[in-house]
Amino acid sequence: MSLILAADNPLNHVVQHTLWDLNPDGGPWFMVPIVSNHIIMQVVGALLLLWWLPRAVMKTAGTDEINRHVPRGAANALEVICFGLRDRIFEPNLGRHTNRFTPLLWSYFFFILISNLLGMLPLSDWFYFVPGHLIGGTSTGNIWVTGAMAVSSLVLIVYNGLRFNGMDYIKHFFMGPSFLAWFIALLEMAGMLFKTMALAVRLFANMLAGHILLAVLVSFANLGTTIGQILSPVVVLACVLFNFLEIFVAFLHAFIFTALTAVFLGMAVNIHHDDEHEHEHA
Amino acid sequence: MAQRLTGLCVFLALPALAMAADTGEEPNIFAGGLSNAIITLVVFVIVVTILGKYAWPPLMKRLEEREETIRGSLLHAKQEREAAEKLLADYQAQVAKARDEATAIVEEGRRDAEAVRQRMHEEARAEADQMIERAKREIGLARDAAVKELYDQTAELAVNVASGIIKKSLSPTDHGDLVQQSLEQMKAADKSRWN
Repeated sequence: MSLILAADNPLNHVVQHTLWDLNPDGGPWFMVPIVSNHIIMQVVGALLLLWWLPRAVMKTAGTDEINRHVPRGAANALEVICFGLRDRIFEPNLGRHTNRFTPLLWSYFFFILISNLLGMLPLSDWFYFVPGHLIGGTSTGNIWVTGAMAVSSLVLIVYNGLRFNGMDYIKHFFMGPSFLAWFIALLEMAGMLFKTMALAVRLFANMLAGHILLAVLVSFANLGTTIGQILSPVVVLACVLFNFLEIFVAFLHAFIFTALTAVFLGMAVNIHHDDEHEHEHA
Repeated sequence: MAQRLTGLCVFLALPALAMAADTGEEPNIFAGGLSNAIITLVVFVIVVTILGKYAWPPLMKRLEEREETIRGSLLHAKQEREAAEKLLADYQAQVAKARDEATAIVEEGRRDAEAVRQRMHEEARAEADQMIERAKREIGLARDAAVKELYDQTAELAVNVASGIIKKSLSPTDHGDLVQQSLEQMKAADKSRWN
């Protein structure tokens, strides 16, 4: 394992490693990967979610009148997370649409979280015998993955804005004096696009940076026999501390992505509600 | 044994194979393609669909049931508390009423006792007055009888004394006149003495 670490560029631990590419000659910018470590980890994360979550949420302390309402084990944590998100983030932003979008937003949170957390595990080192680093890696450290999630968020926002408000949703971009309305609408639409794309960049950059930092720290322990031995205790301690930070960051960015999606979605579906509030304040 | 050795050799050689799999190109942090995005969306849609069917509905259902149970329990507790408060108010009203009734009964008893006492006192007084009156009447009768007897004896004595003094017998008419005259004198004397 140390041989691999010594030989590798630290970035090798965070970038995508492709086994099967439909366009192998396209270079790094025009790949069409079908099997890669990020895709495999994404599928593994999804399978884990699909296997574990339905079981976990059903666990209760018993079946009698009272205990069937009491969660047990991980269901406690799931309830705290789910209902904390729903009551404190979704409800204030989505209002009467809360229950409609809550399951979808919970899925965003847990899908991103499981991807982030799986990236914390040094699977590529545990499965060093698998060729091409195909096991391990953080799928949310891939801009195409986070970009796809952000695009889905944008589609969700625009579709539901139109669905619940019709043309009023388009009209609400045109504001201010008539000679500025088109310009402001352009800025508003671009702003919405950038806000959702910022979701992708934020998640991607944070996941990538954290894992690069850990990989660089580990590489310090392999600088050479003497220096590596001297630095190893410090590196191990720093890695442990940064891992705690990374676990926090994994939760934090799953939360930020979900919360901001809920905020933008709320702004799209509740434009009349906002107007009513403005009238009330006026 | 040979197979195991071969397997061990392959296992030990894997890291080298892994290293060999790296192309030697500079790693690109933006490596990926549209297929990554499409696969991500497909996987995410599957996750949303399955979790939306098997994970979130039971969770929401349990939450709703729990909210309903808690709401029902709170409502029941509120109703019970209101019933208890009403019962307490009824009991307090009954106790107050019983206390008033007891006070009224005691007061009535006191009034009755006072009336009985007053009546007994008046009856005793009346009886005493009657007894005094009767005693007075009896005393008066006894006195009159004694006085009459005294008069009779005195008259007889006086007649006897006078007969003896004048040694002569009076006629019955004289005798009667003399007695009557003596009685008049004695009554006059007696009246002047009693007055």
